Amino acid sequence: MEKDKALEELFQAQKPHFDDSADFMAALTKRLDAVEFVKQHQEATIRRYKMAMVAAFVVGIITGGVTVAFMLSTPVDEPLFDFDSQIEGLRWLSENSRLIAATILSLLMMVGIFSIFTNIQDIQRMRVKLKV
Amino acid sequence: MTREEFIAHVEREQEALRAFLLALCCGKKDDADDLAQDALVKAYLSAAGYQDQGRFRSWLFKIAHNTFLNHKASMRTMANIEDARTEFSSFSADSSFQHQDLYLALSTLPPKERSAITLFYLTGYSIKEIATITETSEDAVKKQLSRGRDKLREQLTIEN
Repeated sequence: MEKDKALEELFQAQKPHFDDSADFMAALTKRLDAVEFVKQHQEATIRRYKMAMVAAFVVGIITGGVTVAFMLSTPVDEPLFDFDSQIEGLRWLSENSRLIAATILSLLMMVGIFSIFTNIQDIQRMRVKLKV
Repeated sequence: MTREEFIAHVEREQEALRAFLLALCCGKKDDADDLAQDALVKAYLSAAGYQDQGRFRSWLFKIAHNTFLNHKASMRTMANIEDARTEFSSFSADSSFQHQDLYLALSTLPPKERSAITLFYLTGYSIKEIATITETSEDAVKKQLSRGRDKLREQLTIEN
């Protein structure tokens, strides 16, 4: 495709010249400083998230292990806890204490795993934001 | 790319980038400089993925072009010639421009045609390079240039 000479000349004749290049670069440097600050802040947040995740994981492993060990160490035919009461509801709780404790433990583990996945997603989202 | 290298590249290319965006913004210097700053910040954030092959300018223009299109899309302005004339009377355009006819004529073009025309006539890029920068096919660029040129000629004839 050939160039339209008249248009080209018009564009070239009206090519702007900037006498505020120093101001423009100074404004850009300021913006880049702000970007660096936000980047560092987000990286620090990611580090904190990671630390919290590791801490939650370790605490979960230890408490889970201790609870399971406790459950296994007690006699199978005896309830984990006994309210020593004749009230129907409390008696039912005592009789099914093992099942209830196992359910609560499973729920806690589920919540823990879910929160770890959420944290990983948050970290990935932050990394994407940092790159964009 | 380190920050120092990035700034050194930008110092060399900023005038060309600003001239390109000034034409896309039809002479609105403040808007053009804001877009240039936004584009440069985006470029800085993605500078890690830039492979230096002597094509910093076209890489920068690609980001600037996308920033301009996003800006236009967010503004959702469909300014017609009369609106443009009103605007021209109210803003202070770049003082080095003696005539605003070209900007006025450019403001009547759709953003993609404006980009193609500006890259072709102001910056001197080839059709192939424009296709790379605007992420379209060479045929599409040819059509945009042809349509844009006809509209510009018509508009400049009316104005003169």
